[in-house]
This record gives sequence, C-alpha cells and structure tokens, in this order.
Amino acid sequence: MSVRENHIEIDRAAALWASRIDRGLNSGEATALEAWKAADTRRNGALARALAVMDQLDRAQALGTNYDPQAFRPPANINRRAALWGGGALAASVAAAIGVGLSTRPAYYVARKGQVRLISLADGSVVTLNSASKVAVRYSEGARDVTLLEGEALFDVAKNPDRPFTVYSGDARVRAVGTSFTVRRLADRPTQVVVREGVVEVSRPAARTRMGGKPQNPTAVRLVANEMATADAASTAVETVALSPVDLQQQLAWKDGMIAFKRTRLSDAAAEFARYSDTPILVDPAVADRTITGLFSAYNPAEFAQSAALSLDLTAQRDGAAVRLTP
Amino acid sequence: MHVGPPNRSRWLAVEILPHEPALRAWLTAKRLPGVEVEDIIQDTYSVLVDLEAVDHITHPKTYMFRTAYSLAVNQLRRQRIVAIEMVAEIDAISPPDETPSVERQVADRQELRRVAEAIADLKGRTREIFILRKIEGMSQREVAKRLGVTEGVVEKQVAKGLETLVRLFGRGKKTSHTSKTQDAKIAAPAVESEISKRS
Repeated sequence: MSVRENHIEIDRAAALWASRIDRGLNSGEATALEAWKAADTRRNGALARALAVMDQLDRAQALGTNYDPQAFRPPANINRRAALWGGGALAASVAAAIGVGLSTRPAYYVARKGQVRLISLADGSVVTLNSASKVAVRYSEGARDVTLLEGEALFDVAKNPDRPFTVYSGDARVRAVGTSFTVRRLADRPTQVVVREGVVEVSRPAARTRMGGKPQNPTAVRLVANEMATADAASTAVETVALSPVDLQQQLAWKDGMIAFKRTRLSDAAAEFARYSDTPILVDPAVADRTITGLFSAYNPAEFAQSAALSLDLTAQRDGAAVRLTP
Repeated sequence: MHVGPPNRSRWLAVEILPHEPALRAWLTAKRLPGVEVEDIIQDTYSVLVDLEAVDHITHPKTYMFRTAYSLAVNQLRRQRIVAIEMVAEIDAISPPDETPSVERQVADRQELRRVAEAIADLKGRTREIFILRKIEGMSQREVAKRLGVTEGVVEKQVAKGLETLVRLFGRGKKTSHTSKTQDAKIAAPAVESEISKRS
C-alpha cells in the first residue's frame, strides 16, 4: 500500500536532483530525471523552484561575492562560531577560500563556462574572471600573488609599491606596478598579456625580447599600455606587439560578454565560442578557412552562425544540440 | 547544465519566487477545504515552468496567483466541493499591488545580502561545503578532494543547503539577523557586472 508523497519529501528529492543537475547529469541520470518528474506535477514544480533558487545563487556569484560570513553572524553566537571555525587547518583553508584572509593559503576563485565573475580583493584590486577561468590568490604581508590556473582574467591592481602584485601563468611571471592588464592562459596556447593602463614586467626563466631590436633587460620585458606580450611556447622568449585602440578593445570585449573577430577563420571562431558555451559550432571543413569580422555576443553561438551564414553566403542549421555551418 | 530553458529559472527566480510567501499567506487565509497549500504551490511552479513562453506576461505576480487559484478550484471541483462565491472570485481577482522595481543596483545589493545571510545561517559541514561549491564555484570533485569526502557527500550537502534555502526564500523567513546588521565586508564590485547566460 503506497502512501502519497508529502511536499517535504518532494522538496528534498528536488533539491537532490538540482544538486546533481548542477554538477552535470550523465545520460542515465537524465532519463531517470524525466521519469521522476513525470510521475507527479508537484515534483516538476518543486524542481523548478529549486533550480530558481540555484539561479539566485549564481546571480549572487556573478555580482562578485567576497563576503565574510563572520560579519553576518550576530555577535552573541561566539561559541557556535568558535565551534564552527575551530578546526585548525580546515577552518583556515575554508576561511581563506571565502576571502577572510586568515592565512596564506590560497583562495580559489572560479568562473564556470558561461559566467563572467568580478572579484574584489581586500586591497581594492579587482579581478574579472572570464568564462571557464580559475585563479588562486595568495595575499601576504609583503606580496600579492595570483596564479592563473586556466582561462583569462583582467586585473585592475591597486597601487602599492610596498606590496608587489604578481600574476603567475605557466612559467611566465607578470609583475604589476599599479595597472590594468589581462592575462590569458588557454590549453596548448602560449600565455598572453595585454596591458590596458600602466606598466607591467613580463619575465620567464630566461626571457629575451624580440621587438624591433629594442635593448631590454634579458630577464624581464616591460610592457606598457596598448601592448600585448606572448610567451612563445617554443622558447623562453617574450614577443611584444603594439595594439591599436580598436585591437585593445577587441581583446577586452569579453568583459561585456562579446567576442570580436577580425578576419578570423571560421574554425578558429568556433573554437573561441567553445570557451563560452556548451553549444558546439560545427564548421564544415570546406568552409573552415573562410574568415569573419565583427563583434558578437559571446553567449549566442546560434546567432553568430546565422550572421556568418548571412554574410558569407553559407547555411546555418541546428543539428541536435549543436549548430552547423555548411556551404 | 540546466534542464529546461535556462532563462526560465531566471524568470522564476526574479519574478515568481519573491511572491511565494504572499501567495502562501493568501491561499492559507482562504481556508479551502481539502486543499493542501504546499501542493498547490508546487503545482503552480510546475505550470509556470512548463509554459511555452513567458514574455507576454506583464504581471507575473497576478499570473502566479491566478494559476494557483485555478489549481485550487480544480482540486475543490474534483472533491465536488464547489462554493459559488469561490468560483466567481477567480474572475474578480484584481492584480495584487505590483510594486515598481527598485533601482537595479540597489535591488541586486539587497539580494546579494539576502543570499549571503541565508548561507551564513546554514550550519557546520553543510555550510562549508555549500560555500565552497556555490560561492567559490569549486567543482564537486575539487570540494570532495579538498575536504577528504566522497563526491556523494558533497552532492547531498549541497542538496541539503539548497533545501534550506528554498524554504527560506519561499517563506520569506527572517534570517537570524536584525536590521542593524553590522556593515558586512562585502567589497562592493567596482562595476556592476552580471553576465551569466547559458546557450
């Protein structure tokens, strides 16, 4: 004899499903989910509500939370707080992870695919994380160290000569002197640095410069506003180029959720979109070398495909979960 | 990756969820016999999430209330309890006061604070895991590794935290904080930036 589920049980199950959806379902789970939902409309609704709350959390993340939960706790709860945070190393690492800065363990910040995240650091510096990026921040007395683990970030560094701000990306080190600059580190691609304002120093284990033969310190290359440096993969050289104001804007377009292409091959453009969205753009080999120029919404690959089709006289069509470009 | 149109979750979060406490109070006050208020609310969300489109809905709160009320009346009809006044009332529902939206930045800060306070109210392990996963955005695997637990534990704790938050937001419960909360160390974003869409 079955007893009808009550709303509490349904909400509990819905929360579990929402948690699973958040980490990504495999196809078996996706099928099981449909069956679960179909059995009772209340389940469908409870899940919708749980996903809406999940969405609230993601929104809060995007607004840039570097909050200290200690500040939200009523002062009377000292004992509970001590019990909560008393766990030594664990407490320290959790506290550091939420930016309390109790120790010099790194604080990790992650932006998932499809997310741009603003992180305000304790010294007033701001890190803007692009889609699918991860940094580890370690602030100490005399230094502000950030490791770019993957992806791309814009660093707006608060000036403090007594406390150098350094970004580590692969074997490259980017030292800032009160500036605004981006660092990009993508799989199988050389680290790239673009300076918006101020001056940075890019160094590698034994860096040489290759730009118009300008004499430079052999271990470090200075980069000023509107310049871009690439850490050449094949050697330890740092290549620099000057960017036009337009090129600079294009390099930073991601901050506003846009991607700029300038005579970019379609297959390269598709690869770029893959950083921001799980909807693949499949480019027919016959048209892979056609080039496209323009500014596009980074989160709308379908729209891009339609624009490309229109301007290059191609065909864009949905193909399951993907978008296909053909002659 | 979300199930269903991802923007629907956003719409529900922004336009519907904040009105749930009011809907609950309204339905409860009606004292409709044999009608489970919580079931009606869950069913209301089901109707709303399954809608083809929501762009045409100019007064989401009213739409939500009407939907809930229709569901309740249907339930009454199925029980063969029909009170004439109740049926007439559906057509007479005047749109509840739709307050004009607060200036965006202020509203976002309030929401941010609300989320932060709600999370601060979680307890112990649930809170730790929830923060690492949903605030710091660490993957399930990373959290499991960091804390030396299985991914299953992380998944369940996130679910537990979410369940609490759903109840909190749905019921508009006061958190354990007075209005004189000390100024939290929310480093205010230099630029209001919210770009979080999924294709």
